[in-house]
Amino acid sequence: MSKTEMISTTPVKNKSRKIKTKRNTVWISVTSVILFLITWELISYYKLINPLFISSPIKIVEAATTLFADPKYWQHLGVSAYEFSLGFILAMAIGIPLGIFAGWNRIFNSIISPFVSALYVTPKVALLPIIIIAFGIGVASKIVVVFLMAFFPIVMSAQKAMSTLDQNLIKAARSFTASEFQIFKTIALPSTVPFLLNGIRLGLGQGLIAIVVGEMYASTAGIGYHLTHAGQNLKTAEMFVGVVVIAVSGVILTGVIGLIEKRFSSWKPE
Amino acid sequence: MIDTQSIPKLQSQFLDVTYINHKTGQEVTALKNINLSIQEGEFICIVGPSGCGKTTFLNTVIGFIEPSNGSILLDNKKIVGPGKDRSMVFQSPSLLPWRNVMDNVLYGVELQKRITSETRKLAKTYIEMVGLKGFESHYPHELSGGMQQRVNLARALTVEPSLLLLDEPFSALDAQTREFMQQELVRIWSETKKTSIFITHQIDEAVFLADRVFVFGARPGHLVDDIAIDLKRPRELKIKREPHFLQYVDRIWQLIENESAKQGFA
Repeated sequence: MSKTEMISTTPVKNKSRKIKTKRNTVWISVTSVILFLITWELISYYKLINPLFISSPIKIVEAATTLFADPKYWQHLGVSAYEFSLGFILAMAIGIPLGIFAGWNRIFNSIISPFVSALYVTPKVALLPIIIIAFGIGVASKIVVVFLMAFFPIVMSAQKAMSTLDQNLIKAARSFTASEFQIFKTIALPSTVPFLLNGIRLGLGQGLIAIVVGEMYASTAGIGYHLTHAGQNLKTAEMFVGVVVIAVSGVILTGVIGLIEKRFSSWKPE
Repeated sequence: MIDTQSIPKLQSQFLDVTYINHKTGQEVTALKNINLSIQEGEFICIVGPSGCGKTTFLNTVIGFIEPSNGSILLDNKKIVGPGKDRSMVFQSPSLLPWRNVMDNVLYGVELQKRITSETRKLAKTYIEMVGLKGFESHYPHELSGGMQQRVNLARALTVEPSLLLLDEPFSALDAQTREFMQQELVRIWSETKKTSIFITHQIDEAVFLADRVFVFGARPGHLVDDIAIDLKRPRELKIKREPHFLQYVDRIWQLIENESAKQGFA
């Protein structure tokens, strides 16, 4: 009859076990990356593949040191960061409320659904020529592309979240005389968080693609511009620096989302 | 204990509930001519085969379903929708997974905009009463099924309803936990003396808990019999083996069997 015997697991024990297994897998990942870099370096060193195509880790590090010492390179990074942040924030600021409202209101959902579904699968980069004509080759056009690419995964995830609400919870709330607004606030909104974060994660990847493709297509500054330029001038190492910068940004941003996810879903069963 | 002169706590008068089955487009009569009354402080169990409309009856009392005919009166007032004077313990725990036990128990009063230091104290009292003291900051997933149902019960009690409705709250629990929870409910009820309607399809559960058992029959749902359970309180699980108890179970079982035979699937 004691209370403790009704609990199946003690949370403390669980946590320590989880950290332990995680540390083990981190070592495996680190080793695999190191092995990959060594192989790459060796292939390049013995010219098994033309170094002009693949450069080498050491040359990339050298190129990175010179590039990062150059304030011009930081300007390129700054431009890209600016375009990305603005486009992405816009995508969230418009996409989240729109998706949630669509999921909540059937009529509104019917109005926007055909457009969202069609545009979701449309490769937005195909619209680049028009966007460049309309917004010029400066930052504005890149912001628009990032927005368009990130917007749809976010809207779709918010919509989806609202359509999977637990009807039992809604029934319980109604029995306590809950209003529609109360149900929205206490059940619908919190339920969307995990879905939203997933949509934001997908949006991040799309946004990063957008920034590079947008700058490659037509621009005067930015990391995609610099990268294309380096590639065209056979500065393979410099080009790879750009690729690494984008990849690392993506990993960091995804990591941040992961942290937020942990913070908001501490209630979730493992 | 029961004053026959006073107005009943709950009265169902000529109650019919019909609805349209959306798949077949046909009109279905879920409840037909239900006449019954419940006194203040009574613990009522409703048993019956599936399809007898017992859940429909409860949903009408809580205010989810509108009667097609007749009415239900609570304290002589017609029920027209969910109200602060009733609360329900659901078959599934229906707890907000992102809220801990304390905040889940307070959910009902929060929705009714009655969060005060008083209702907070009340929540604490009921958490203690259902045996969850020390678990206030645990999340639902950290609790066993039985414990989740205790939270479900504490949440319904914290709004201080004048009528408590319980919709097969123990049906998803394993046999042992179920028996244990029955015992706990008897204890909690003896402390609160809340007028309660408990729905179950398990006859021994109904006899063990109830002052009166309403037996419902199917197609359409109707009241077959109203049986007063004359077993002394406080009750302990061992009375389930006593001949007197078993006679009640037998009698109700007979009634349900007869009903099923009438339907042609005995």
